[in-house]
Amino acid sequence: MGSPGRSHRRLPQAPDRKTSIQEAALLPISRRQALALGGAALLAGSAGDARAASPQGQLTWAVHVSLAPTWFDPAETPGMITPFMLLYALHDAMVKPMPGQTAAPCLADAWKMAPDGLSYEFTVRKDVTFHNGEPVTAEDVKFSFERYRGTSASVMKERVAAVETPDARTVRFVLKKPWPDFLTFYSSATGAGWIVPKKYIQQVGEEGFKKAPIGAGPYKFVSFTPGVELVFEAFEGYWRKLPSVKRLVLKVIPEESTRLAALKRGEVDIAYSIRGELAEELQRTPGFTLKPVVIQGTFWLYFPEQWDPKSPWHDLRVREAAALAMDYKSINEALTLGYSRVANSIIPDSFEFFWKPPPAVYDPRQAKALLAAAGFRNGFDAGDYYCDASYANLAEAVLNNLQEVGIRVKLRPLERAAFFSAYAEKKLKNIIQAASGAFGNAATRLDAFVMKGGTYAYGHYDDLEALFAEQAVELDQKKRTELLHKIQRLVHERVIYAPIWQLAFINGQGKRVRESALGLIEGHAYSAPYEDVTINTG
Amino acid sequence: MKHYIARRVGYSLLSLLLLSLTIFLFVRVTGDPASLLVEPGASPQDIENVHRQLGLDQPLWVQYWQFIASLAQGDLGQSFYYRTPVLDLYFQRLPNSLLLAAVAMAFSLLIGIPSGIIAAVRVGRMWDSAGKIFALLGLSLPSFWVGLVLILVFTVWLGWLPSSGSGTALHVLMPAFALGWYFAAAHMRLTRSSMLEVLGSEYVKLARLKGLPEALVIGKHAFKNALIPVITLAGINLVVMINVAVVVEMVFAWPGIGRLLYEGISFRDFPVVQGVVVIGGAMIILVNLAIDIVYALIDPRIRLAG
Amino acid sequence: MSVTTHPTAVPAPAPIAFWRLKGFPLIPVLILLLIALVAIFADVLAPYDPEIGSLARRFRPPAWQEGGSMAHLLGTDHVGRDVLSRLMYGARVSMIVGLAAVLFAGVLGTFLGIVSGYLGGWVDQVIMRLTDTWLALPGLTFAIFLAAIVGPSELNIIFILGGVYWTRYARVIRSEVLSLKEREFVNLAIVAGCSRRAIMWHHILPNVINSAVVLATLMLGIVIVTEAALSFLGVGVPPPRPAWGLMLADGKKGLMVGYWWLTVLPGLCIMLMVLSANLLGDWLRVKLDPQLRQL
Repeated sequence: MGSPGRSHRRLPQAPDRKTSIQEAALLPISRRQALALGGAALLAGSAGDARAASPQGQLTWAVHVSLAPTWFDPAETPGMITPFMLLYALHDAMVKPMPGQTAAPCLADAWKMAPDGLSYEFTVRKDVTFHNGEPVTAEDVKFSFERYRGTSASVMKERVAAVETPDARTVRFVLKKPWPDFLTFYSSATGAGWIVPKKYIQQVGEEGFKKAPIGAGPYKFVSFTPGVELVFEAFEGYWRKLPSVKRLVLKVIPEESTRLAALKRGEVDIAYSIRGELAEELQRTPGFTLKPVVIQGTFWLYFPEQWDPKSPWHDLRVREAAALAMDYKSINEALTLGYSRVANSIIPDSFEFFWKPPPAVYDPRQAKALLAAAGFRNGFDAGDYYCDASYANLAEAVLNNLQEVGIRVKLRPLERAAFFSAYAEKKLKNIIQAASGAFGNAATRLDAFVMKGGTYAYGHYDDLEALFAEQAVELDQKKRTELLHKIQRLVHERVIYAPIWQLAFINGQGKRVRESALGLIEGHAYSAPYEDVTINTG
Repeated sequence: MKHYIARRVGYSLLSLLLLSLTIFLFVRVTGDPASLLVEPGASPQDIENVHRQLGLDQPLWVQYWQFIASLAQGDLGQSFYYRTPVLDLYFQRLPNSLLLAAVAMAFSLLIGIPSGIIAAVRVGRMWDSAGKIFALLGLSLPSFWVGLVLILVFTVWLGWLPSSGSGTALHVLMPAFALGWYFAAAHMRLTRSSMLEVLGSEYVKLARLKGLPEALVIGKHAFKNALIPVITLAGINLVVMINVAVVVEMVFAWPGIGRLLYEGISFRDFPVVQGVVVIGGAMIILVNLAIDIVYALIDPRIRLAG
Repeated sequence: MSVTTHPTAVPAPAPIAFWRLKGFPLIPVLILLLIALVAIFADVLAPYDPEIGSLARRFRPPAWQEGGSMAHLLGTDHVGRDVLSRLMYGARVSMIVGLAAVLFAGVLGTFLGIVSGYLGGWVDQVIMRLTDTWLALPGLTFAIFLAAIVGPSELNIIFILGGVYWTRYARVIRSEVLSLKEREFVNLAIVAGCSRRAIMWHHILPNVINSAVVLATLMLGIVIVTEAALSFLGVGVPPPRPAWGLMLADGKKGLMVGYWWLTVLPGLCIMLMVLSANLLGDWLRVKLDPQLRQL
């Protein structure tokens, strides 16, 4: 309920991140020391120190989605966030988002772009091995890139002319022409930079790899029952640091209330996706912690008829009225306890080239005035309001607000698959409530949702097309940023979209967890990096 | 007789073929799996790529022919989502479904048979109504609600039973009760009417005439005979339960076939949906076939009508 | 009407003064009547618009509980809508959806059952193969598919539920028709030169209508509970429409949190309605139609 005492709840604090960055930088050394000292400690008979040096105990997650084995394989990475839940445990990437850094050196400890922008050279970290003890080499990096067939695979392969491996620790990506977004795609927008063992895969074949995957990540694969349970065990040879928890178990529990019950009874230690009133309940229960993470999933209203002069939505004032009608703060408080970010953009604020729009305003009186000015003094029947049925609760709240200013709509929640098919096939009308968690940068989002030919763009504006074409060939980063900012500003001013929020993914944490690693990596919804996860021993 | 059986088997195969075509088409008009396997906003090439990987770029009739051809060889294809043979997935889940159905049936009969007997023998109006209402309640409450109330009481409040999953004997209790209760009413109704029929038969009248105590007449003679149709129905319902446990399996995260099917539908995992529906349909068609044949053996007149 | 126009017909069972009969389920019938009255007069009775609420007023408990007020006698839901008003309008939506779906299934199933049973031959074959196929398809699965194809709306839910459950009528009615066909009065009608259509319409139909009615009372409960299950799976009557099944599914999260009124109240309504329909159905079944005892 709308209690005023909300201010104490905040997003994960920056200081936490700083300490983990320090840990990240220091620990490879301290781990080696720890191992060296471990032997000495045993000799000295100090059991306590020896125990601290090896992974202990088990933590269990209640996962909201059905785990798929394709997610064990970086080559299959679809352009969505869920598989990274498993990739961060099992595998490692050359460069990947880590606490405090969107592109942190991992299996690559250094890289540089050639001055002409035509090649990127990576150095593979020394003494890093896969779970089977084989060293990670430049060959594996090349193999992994060539084997990659997931999201944007065609884009990457079109632009990369060759992958060269001058020696066992050097990999050079030669581009056909300069591509400013290469590192974005290689490090975070795809799975192409995640490294799999070439020798092993050639030995056991694709089928064998699917059944018993091996990687260079902090956790080894133990067992998997499709759609039921996945078990990992600590990999003691992990380069960054020794994982602290011995076993990780991921259990699939589709029903939200059941996840909460399991967490409360101590059957699981971390429960993903606990929303609304269930989250409130958890907050009230002593011993449990809420772990909200603002992910790069933005939500919005779209007006597909804005290009039709006969539609009320053609009138900018009507679209503005809809945006002003939404009580962002109350909706946020009610559904995500105020943790979501009302960023007023369809582009996540963590994306490259993001332009920060003025804050979203809730002003129903102004909305009514705009509607009256547009000729709808008594409001109007705006037809259907389509949404993905799993977000019908958000739609109900927005619907109330629209109704209050006189925009009368009928809710049409469609089952997820049906919704996205109809959305992409441009079959929806009136108002669409949608969301996207796709990776990329501001340009890739605009391409899909605003530009002509975009999968979800129902119309286009010629001046925006021209600007977009211009930025696509602009090599000067600064000029390109300016162009993309200008497009975003125009999208905002024309109210092509009425953005709702950037969703907070709320998770529950039980008593046994000291560090859940939730929210450590900006925009990442799940626990990661797993080697930072610790159990409460005290 | 041989002719009749051959005809019935032919019909069954025809039904199965019709079923496979129906489900094949249905699953394809409901949406594109590619739109779920990639995040909204992914490029058209990505989507095309997924189509090619899944074989969805082929014309419909080619896809159907491949489905039927491999079905004939006992191969149900690979799951889009799990990238595992559907048959493997199915047999991984089947033991769980069988266990759930068996325990649910035990609960169902435990409620249904006594309340049915009480209703037939009319022990007393109050008991009659109480039993009947308890059995009917299971039919009147949506099972997801029953399931959540059970979790609330036995997991959250009392802490006695695990909320979800499988593995121990304790795990199966709540989902089995939620599922079994729904079927109790059917068993009660049949027990009652079957009891009434037996109680009115010459054979029971004779037993009474012989001066046997009423309890013995009911408990031994009548009950034994009245049970036969109930057991038959229970057998059919066991198959039905395996296929309708979706909601209960979702609530309790029970790794059964119902959830496999439901998730298959949500992900538009065509091979899984086709596979599960065809196997489930085959089971039901097979049971119906068996019943038809048995009845025909008992009562020759049916052969002419069927 | 069949009696006067077609002298060869055996009269359909005469109307019975139900309430005089022994064991008449008075309470269930009164409950059903009450629900029907509330459904009809929901506009007058309900204190608020059932579809509009305010987030500022969400999760208010019932009046007698701490924090509740007389303004919302039975509390408010997750969007701040009045629960009492939603239950009242919900009676209407659930009644209409339930009855219409049963009627749709009944008309379709009875028609196909009579045609199939009476005409026999290839017509019978086609209809029965179709029925077998339909029966082999899990009802809920089928409903989810239909919902995904046609999109959710009350009208579509009616067709979906009807489309799932007509098979039960078809099977039962067909087997009754098969035995009626052998009866003397049908033969007499044929001898008297009645057309096949006239026989089905005037002689067969009146004799199977009892079974259809009994089946309908029993199906009502199944349909309403299935409607709730569809809402649970997210493909039922679309929000914010007030329907009991949807309210129950929406309120399920509140159960773990102590907002009991959001699930217990609609659950109670569904239970009372379904239980009453079943008790009435059971009684009708025994009274009217001994052939149906194995349903």
